[in-house]
Amino acid sequence: MSTPLPLRIRRGLRLPRTLWLLPPLAVLGLVFFFPLYELVQQSLSGGAAHYLRVLHAPIFLSALGHTLQIGLLSTLGCLLLGGVLAVLLAFVPFPGSSLLSRFIDAFLAYPSFLIALSLTFIYGAAGLVNASLMQLLHTSVPPLNFLYTTTGVVLAETTFYTPFVLRLLLAAFGTIERAQIEVAQSLGASPWQVLREIIAPAALPALLAGGSLTLMLTLNEFGIIFYLGAKGVITLPMLIYGKAIQEFDYAQASVIAVVSIVLSLALYALYRLSFNRLQRDHALPL
Amino acid sequence: MNAGTPSLPLPGALSAPGSHAEREPAASIEHIRFDGVGIRYGRQTALSGFDLTLHAGEALALLGPSGSGKTTALRALAGFIPIAEGHIRLHGRDISGLSPQQRGFGIVVQNYALFPHMSVADNVAFGLRARRLPRAEMRTRIEHYLELVGMRQYARRRPLDLSGGQQQRVALARALAIRPDVLLMDEPLSALDAPLRREMLGELITLHRELPDLTMLFVTHDQSEALALADRVGLLRDGELLALDVPKRLYDRPPNRFTAEFLGQTNLLAVEIPQHPDNDDMLNVCLGKQVLRVPRPDDWTGAPGPGWLCLRPHLLSLEPAAGMNNRLDSRVLGAEWKGSHYRIELEAEGQTLHVEANAALPPPAVGNRTTLSFAPTAGWLLARDV
Amino acid sequence: MLFHSKFARRLAWGTFFLLSAVFFGLPLLMLLLAALAGQWNGVLPSQLGFGNLLDALQDARGHALFASLATAASATLCAVVLGTWGALASRRLNGAAQRVIDAVYITPITLPTVTVGLALLVAFSRPPLLLNGSPALVIIAHVTLITAYAYSGIRAGLARLPEAYEQVAASLGASPARILFGVTLPLLRPYIAAAASLGFALSMGELGATIMLYPPGWVTAPVDVYALTNRGSIFSGAALSVLLLAATVIALLVLNRLGRHPRRS
Repeated sequence: MSTPLPLRIRRGLRLPRTLWLLPPLAVLGLVFFFPLYELVQQSLSGGAAHYLRVLHAPIFLSALGHTLQIGLLSTLGCLLLGGVLAVLLAFVPFPGSSLLSRFIDAFLAYPSFLIALSLTFIYGAAGLVNASLMQLLHTSVPPLNFLYTTTGVVLAETTFYTPFVLRLLLAAFGTIERAQIEVAQSLGASPWQVLREIIAPAALPALLAGGSLTLMLTLNEFGIIFYLGAKGVITLPMLIYGKAIQEFDYAQASVIAVVSIVLSLALYALYRLSFNRLQRDHALPL
Repeated sequence: MNAGTPSLPLPGALSAPGSHAEREPAASIEHIRFDGVGIRYGRQTALSGFDLTLHAGEALALLGPSGSGKTTALRALAGFIPIAEGHIRLHGRDISGLSPQQRGFGIVVQNYALFPHMSVADNVAFGLRARRLPRAEMRTRIEHYLELVGMRQYARRRPLDLSGGQQQRVALARALAIRPDVLLMDEPLSALDAPLRREMLGELITLHRELPDLTMLFVTHDQSEALALADRVGLLRDGELLALDVPKRLYDRPPNRFTAEFLGQTNLLAVEIPQHPDNDDMLNVCLGKQVLRVPRPDDWTGAPGPGWLCLRPHLLSLEPAAGMNNRLDSRVLGAEWKGSHYRIELEAEGQTLHVEANAALPPPAVGNRTTLSFAPTAGWLLARDV
Repeated sequence: MLFHSKFARRLAWGTFFLLSAVFFGLPLLMLLLAALAGQWNGVLPSQLGFGNLLDALQDARGHALFASLATAASATLCAVVLGTWGALASRRLNGAAQRVIDAVYITPITLPTVTVGLALLVAFSRPPLLLNGSPALVIIAHVTLITAYAYSGIRAGLARLPEAYEQVAASLGASPARILFGVTLPLLRPYIAAAASLGFALSMGELGATIMLYPPGWVTAPVDVYALTNRGSIFSGAALSVLLLAATVIALLVLNRLGRHPRRS
């Protein structure tokens, strides 16, 4: 063997590794944290009195109430629908079920406002369901009018956010050993017992994580409510949009925005907490 | 551990002409030296006060159970992990602070880490491109090394299309193509199934013979690989080097109990060593009421006390034969058929031991008393406190 | 495997199909029908044809689709660069520092998109950073909202990448730059493609921040769909939505293809 070839390595930039973090952090700082700081500054421009005035206004309180109500109901809906679908998909598999679960996965690429639009074709005043009912009942008044109310918003948000829960649940179910279920059944457990004693405990952390994620996303949701144009349903994001764009009242808008940011961050912290536990137990990717 | 599997090469088979005992370098040139190397992962110590010298052109195996620090030592030498204390020297020069790039060692890692997005030829070319080799020379060198490992016809394939053994060959070619004078291999055979492992082991032995100037350090948990391939074997446990010697001596004359037990199967019998004259090559030791004659260890102080008598099962015999002057009365507890032999379990003076007996003869009946024989040189004494 | 009787299993499948059809299949189907509809007086639309879709490619609406594609493409590119860079640079940080970087990257997507839009509006509406009225502000908003996904996707990919590849490359003498461009990034390709897909899809459908920021000359498809349906041009809105979805799906297919390693060099 000949002598080893001399290495010709150019000594490149030998910066400490952490210095490489500066450029992306600077960009993020400029496009996100600086605007956030400006937003907080703007909200404080009227002082604490202004804050109190905005936060005591009936319109803010009702928006907060609507936001929480829609968020909680939609989350509940997602957990129910997602839970049922996930259990069926994971434990009563049929040929092509993996394909179908991928289709539902692809639903994540479906913009939320399109759900609202699509639902108007089904449940809207002239939509599929009302038109059928009107023909059936021989009336010219649409019998179903829930789409432009809280119920419609909750239905749309449930539809849109269920895939998020489904994904987390399927990942958690993937970690249950099939043999566990088979052994339980051979020991005489009914499907109900298997569900309650084996599947439910495994699903609990995923339900928690999925629930807090969905809650956070539904509290932030704008497109669905905006598209449905539900008159009586003003949520915090809708209120912020209205104040800023329709009334040009940046001062009020930024106060409401700061409050809703605090709410979202608190929920995100809760999500991380439950998700960390989930990750520790099941080694899940995001 | 693979101790006791039928594939265990018998040490006798290795003492053919040109075997390890003769290959032991007489005037060896120091190539690499670990000098009191300590390595910590967080608060955990992986290696401490590690001293080891590799001679130019030798193949040295680091052997040990998982977590013994053997891979850590190899990775430190490669420059993949920083050392907390001590030095690593190459031809006497401290290279502890050098990056892997600057060390220029050839490395084959456990799962080969072939770049999946490159063809076999591009994998081999990788190190040559980094050295900006002229195109023509690069091509001849790629061909040469692929030829060396018998993979020339696969040059355009993707690594993922290759079998485990083929991947291993490509990894070897890639490491050798930069013409290193040191080749490091981390568990080079562990990802292969048993027949392929034996085949590749043979090829590595050939490679070592064909590249006599290449210093090889490889890490394994399989004692049969270490015994077959290495000129010297270092045995590690809990980050400490417990033994270092040519394989045959390590097997026949283990310096401590751990080595005796890790390298193949052995019987360890608690014996008492009485007061003894200094000038005798042999010692009499007492196993209960029975007296056995065994070689006197070099470092024997002459003081009486307890010791372990180390007896390899295949050196014990149920039939007396010429030269087997030691006799041990025992009782048969059981017999297990192992295909090539019977493994007989016996009891002597309240201690259990095993013997490998000829499978062609019927095993002794359970409960029978029998007399075991073995040559005095088959026994090996160890201090009891290790 | 939960049920062994044929009846129970069929019941379960029936439930599953019914639920997914009503919640996921039907909306998509009705949107497609509406996009093709010429008239909708009865239960189902009639006079189906491709007129709406062709119309939606013309003039202003064609421009909306272009604005969406241009925004999504540039925002995705920026987000992937920012996310990959951050994930690579923060790789060997200790736990606490890593969590800080994670938080910095993830925070934007935990906030209502409307507030992100508002913040940008407030910050960039006055000198020296007067970007209000420029498409750049829309793109910046999208970058802010999708970088987190790129970052966490690449980070997950890096966590799964055995360090042996880079170590072997280093031992073969490759410089850090050669390792990065010759080994690490090619191995991350599937994750980069996945991150780009997600970012692109989200950007194509983004509404909350865009509607706060879009200048008159840069109406994205979601904003235009809203304007159309609000004016009563429901079928045109549906047609533009379907084109938006189709463009997204095509982009995702292309990205998916790019993410796979070619079989031969």
